[in-house]
Amino acid sequence: MTALSINIKWSKDNFQLEMQADFSDGITGIFGASGAGKSSLLQLIAGLEKIDEGQIQIGDNILDRSETKQFTPSHKRRIGYVFQEGRLFPHMNVRQNLLFATKYVRTNNQQFSLNEIVKLLEIELLLNKLPRQLSGGEKQRVAIGRSLLSSPRLLLMDEPFSALDTSLRRQIIPFLIKINQKLKLPILVVSHDLPDLLSLSQQLLLVKDGRILAQGNYLDLIEKDLLIDIMEESGLTNMIPFKIEHIGKESFNLSNKTNKGQINIKRSTPINHFEIGDEINVSIRPEDIAIALHKVEDVSIRNQLEGTILQIIKHGNHTYCLVDVGFKLLVTITETSQQTLNLEQGGTVWCLFKSMALKTNI
Amino acid sequence: MTNFLELTTIEWEAISLSLQVAFWSALLCLPFAIFTGWFLARRHFRAKFLLEGFINLPLVLPPVATGFILLLLLGRNGLIGQFLNEVLGIKIAFSYYAAVIASMIVAFPLSVRSMRLSIEMIDPAYEEAAKTLGADRWQSFFRITLPLALPGIISGFILAFARSLGEFGATIIFAGNIAGETQTLPLALYSAIQIPGQESTAFRLLIIAVLFSFIAMAGSELLVKNLHHRKNKT
Repeated sequence: MTALSINIKWSKDNFQLEMQADFSDGITGIFGASGAGKSSLLQLIAGLEKIDEGQIQIGDNILDRSETKQFTPSHKRRIGYVFQEGRLFPHMNVRQNLLFATKYVRTNNQQFSLNEIVKLLEIELLLNKLPRQLSGGEKQRVAIGRSLLSSPRLLLMDEPFSALDTSLRRQIIPFLIKINQKLKLPILVVSHDLPDLLSLSQQLLLVKDGRILAQGNYLDLIEKDLLIDIMEESGLTNMIPFKIEHIGKESFNLSNKTNKGQINIKRSTPINHFEIGDEINVSIRPEDIAIALHKVEDVSIRNQLEGTILQIIKHGNHTYCLVDVGFKLLVTITETSQQTLNLEQGGTVWCLFKSMALKTNI
Repeated sequence: MTNFLELTTIEWEAISLSLQVAFWSALLCLPFAIFTGWFLARRHFRAKFLLEGFINLPLVLPPVATGFILLLLLGRNGLIGQFLNEVLGIKIAFSYYAAVIASMIVAFPLSVRSMRLSIEMIDPAYEEAAKTLGADRWQSFFRITLPLALPGIISGFILAFARSLGEFGATIIFAGNIAGETQTLPLALYSAIQIPGQESTAFRLLIIAVLFSFIAMAGSELLVKNLHHRKNKT
């Protein structure tokens, strides 16, 4: 289902933005270098800036249309905006911040209660604190909660990770996935960090110089050779969705079942903020996967998945092999091995990787 | 000695009148000063310097000149005063209200300055955030901008109050020097200095004037300091 469609032109100072896109009700990652127009796009959608030409609509509800000079002011849009720095009101405690918007939401439009949000985001203990007493990650969570309590139809997030260090980033991700899945709220996340974005969503919108380069599933974009250049800079990676099977005190188990087999991961670290059955993305680098023509029995590597080669991608000096093992897996190979193993599109291969090469990012 | 510290009726009247006039003029200044301060802090337009110049005029104009302008406008034969007198039967000049208005005009730029400074220190990003949460411009002003600017607003109020306490030139021209009605502390002090043998009255009023002014200014400084403190903490 289309949650949001835009067809807009806008310019400010010397910057020109021209974009046309439809967004699904999942999580969409908007990726591009700084200055590409990502934040401007969010501000236009939120009504903090006004489009020069075109149209913005949510479902059937037209927000802006330049032809009829229609413009909906931001406070009437019901679009949540989580700012990079959180922007919690410094003179209000966490509870007052969270409840700020509830005055403006009609009771029958109220989607969540304070209790639900507080529980979901695990901020019970912060309610009476002032924003300056919170850590970066806590501020971010409260800012998300405050937005959700305005009962938005769409949530926009501007660089939600940049103010957080790596371990806090990992903490925010499960909340966002939960919000999207449990609250059925479409989310647009802007980031200039692709690995972070990919751990949230595989649906991407690539932005450059105020224009959309491409939109679609991460691997489809790789297939079309649209992403490899960008990805090679930040490190090419595969993102595989896993289900949580078991949560212990000091460990957890994940699994991925496909019609071609199953991968299990056991990690001896505690896992927070998740429940059994939740889905999380696990990453593996294409160079950590080996390819064999047959199943290898006498080897320590347990994870061996049979698959079909979908495509051989030659990009610059590198050769990549895209294999369907129930999900798509990108594997780096050398030209020599491609020739000696005679790897071709449609061929059957086995993908081997050590369990430790799977990064759970939590 | 006890005799020296005892205030006469006229002195008491001057003090209480001063406090009343200062209070009302500072209070009536407040909404206009907040709005003007907000306008200057948040709006950007080319002719802003002209508006700023106009608003700050009473700060540098001789108060006597300000009083004279008020008299020309609101006096019995003044531009607006004539209309008020003939149509509505209201006489403003040489009344208690004239003392309040004179003080208001003279204190206004100081008050605006303080409001503007405190509103400028508030990141407009908070107002933007309030908008995305469903608050319209007024709601975000009253729930975000105003409370955050509160220390500056109080300090602006005190500044206007203190400036009104000291107001002399505009008041004597526009409101006159009528004991019990427009004779505020500075005017009573002036009269006491003029009349031989009133030295003890003059001295008592002087001490009180210094005391009032000092308390007001120190209080205002303290509040401004708190404002900076609060800003740095967040």
